[in-house]
Amino acid sequence: MTQERKDRVRKAAETMAGFVAILIVWQYGAGFLRLPAYILPLPSAIAVRFWQTLPVQLHHLGVTALTTVIGLALSLVVGVLLALSVIYVKPLQAMVLPILAAFNSIPKIAIAPLFVIWFGLGMEPKVLLAFLLGLFPVFVNSVTGLGEIEPDVLDLARLAGGNEWRIFLKVRLMHAVPYIIDAVKVAFPLALVGSIVGEFIGGNSGVGYLILSGQFNMDTSLVFACLASITLFTTTAIAGVAALERNFLRWRPSRRNK
Amino acid sequence: MTATTAAVRVDGLTKIFGTGAAIQDLSFEVGANRFVTVVGPSGCGKSTTLRMISGLMRPTEGKVYLRGKEVGGVIGDVGMVFQAPVLLPWRNTLANVLFTAEMRGKSPVEYRQRALELIALASLEGFEQRYPHELSGGMQQRVAICRALLLNPSLLLMDEPFGALDIMTREKMGFELQKIWNASKTTVLFVTHSITEAVLLSDTIIVMTARPGRAKAVIPVELPRPRDTKTLRDPRFVEIAGIVRDNIEAQWVE
Repeated sequence: MTQERKDRVRKAAETMAGFVAILIVWQYGAGFLRLPAYILPLPSAIAVRFWQTLPVQLHHLGVTALTTVIGLALSLVVGVLLALSVIYVKPLQAMVLPILAAFNSIPKIAIAPLFVIWFGLGMEPKVLLAFLLGLFPVFVNSVTGLGEIEPDVLDLARLAGGNEWRIFLKVRLMHAVPYIIDAVKVAFPLALVGSIVGEFIGGNSGVGYLILSGQFNMDTSLVFACLASITLFTTTAIAGVAALERNFLRWRPSRRNK
Repeated sequence: MTATTAAVRVDGLTKIFGTGAAIQDLSFEVGANRFVTVVGPSGCGKSTTLRMISGLMRPTEGKVYLRGKEVGGVIGDVGMVFQAPVLLPWRNTLANVLFTAEMRGKSPVEYRQRALELIALASLEGFEQRYPHELSGGMQQRVAICRALLLNPSLLLMDEPFGALDIMTREKMGFELQKIWNASKTTVLFVTHSITEAVLLSDTIIVMTARPGRAKAVIPVELPRPRDTKTLRDPRFVEIAGIVRDNIEAQWVE
C-alpha cells in the first residue's frame, strides 16, 4: 500500500517536472530571443494576467461549462436512447445508421452560423453545437456496450426467467457503463469545442468570447490565460471521470491489479 | 405425477439446419434425480439437443417432455452451465451466483443464505467478494455451477462444462461436481467428450452417433457412490469405460 502510494507520488512528481521544464525553457528562451509580448508572452506575464482577470475568467468559464455540460448531458440521453432504439427495433437500424453516418460527415462547426440565425445569440446555439459534437461518440459506444452481449449470457438470463426489462437493467446497462464512460472522455472535449466555437460566432459571454476580446485588444497574455483556465477545467473534469472509474469500475481490465 | 414419469423424455427429436439434419429421430429418457451423460463425437448435435431440452431452441420435429409436460419454450425450471463460465465481470462471486434469482425477479436478500451455502459446498468459501478475473478457470466454473443451482432447478444441463479446463483441474472438478450433486440430487444431463469423466459421474451414459446424431447405445453405470480416485482403478470402471469406448470407436469404421 505504501509502496503503491510512493509510486504514485513519484509518477506525479515526474509529470510535474515535465511541465516545469517546459515553463522554464519558455520563460528564459522567449526572454533570450526577445520575442514581443503580443507574439508570445512570458509564462510569468500570463500568470499575472491570469490572476488579475481571475473573477472575469471564472464568470466566463462558468458560462462555457454550463453550455458544455448541458450539451454533453443531452448527447448522453439522446445517444443512449438512439442506441436503444436501434438495438430493440431492428428495422430502425437500416434507417437510423445511414442518417447518422451522413450527418456525422458534415463538419458541425461549418453549420454553426446557421444555428445563430435560427436560435440567436443566447445559450441555445452553444448547447446545440456541444450536443451535436458529443452525440456521435456516445451513440457509437452505446450501441457496442448495450448491444454486444455474449449470447450465452442472454440465454442464461432467459433460462432463469429474465424478461427484457431485467436483462436491460442488470446485463445491458451494466455492460455498457464502461463504454459510455469512455465515450464521455471523448465527447467532453468535443462538447467543449462546440461551446467555444458557438461563443466565437456570437454572443457576449463564455471563454470563447473572452479569447476573442483578448485577440481584438492584442492582449495575447489574456488569450493564454484563457487557455490555461480551459485546460484546468478539462483536466479537472477528466480527473473526475477517472476517479469515478477507479472507485466504481474495479473490475475493468484496464483497472486490474492496480 | 407418478414415480415413473421421467424427468426428461426426448421423443423423435429432429433438428434440421439448412439442408442437413443435425439430429435425426433422437429418443431417450432421463430418470428423476439421475445423472445422465451424453457422449459422442464433435458435431453430433449434443449442444443442440441441450438447447432444445432447455426450450431455448425449437426442434424441427419431435417433442421434449420435462416431468411429463411438453416443452414449448423456456420454462424457467432448468439450470444451465456452458463450457465457458460466462460470469458477469462486474459482479463478485456472491452477486454472480445470485444473478439467476434476480433474473427470476426474486430479491437477492432472500437467496443470500442459499447462495452462501452453495458457495461453501463448491469449496469457494472466502472468495465471495472476489471478482471473476481474480478467480482461476476451475473456480469460475464452480461459480457458474452454483449460479445454475441457486433456484433449485428440477433439471441441470451441463454442456461440456469442464472442456476448457486443463486435465488436472478437470479431474478435480469431476469430484467437486459429484459432491455438489450429492447434496442437491437434482436431475443432471451432462455432455462431455471425456469417457473417464462420463463413467465417473454418471448413472447412465448415452452414446450418440456422428451427424446426424442418434442415440446409439444406453449404458448403465452401476458403480457404488461416492466415487473417488480409487474408483478410477476399479476393474468394473475400466470395463464400463471400455464398453463406452467400443461404442464410440465402432462408428469410426462405419
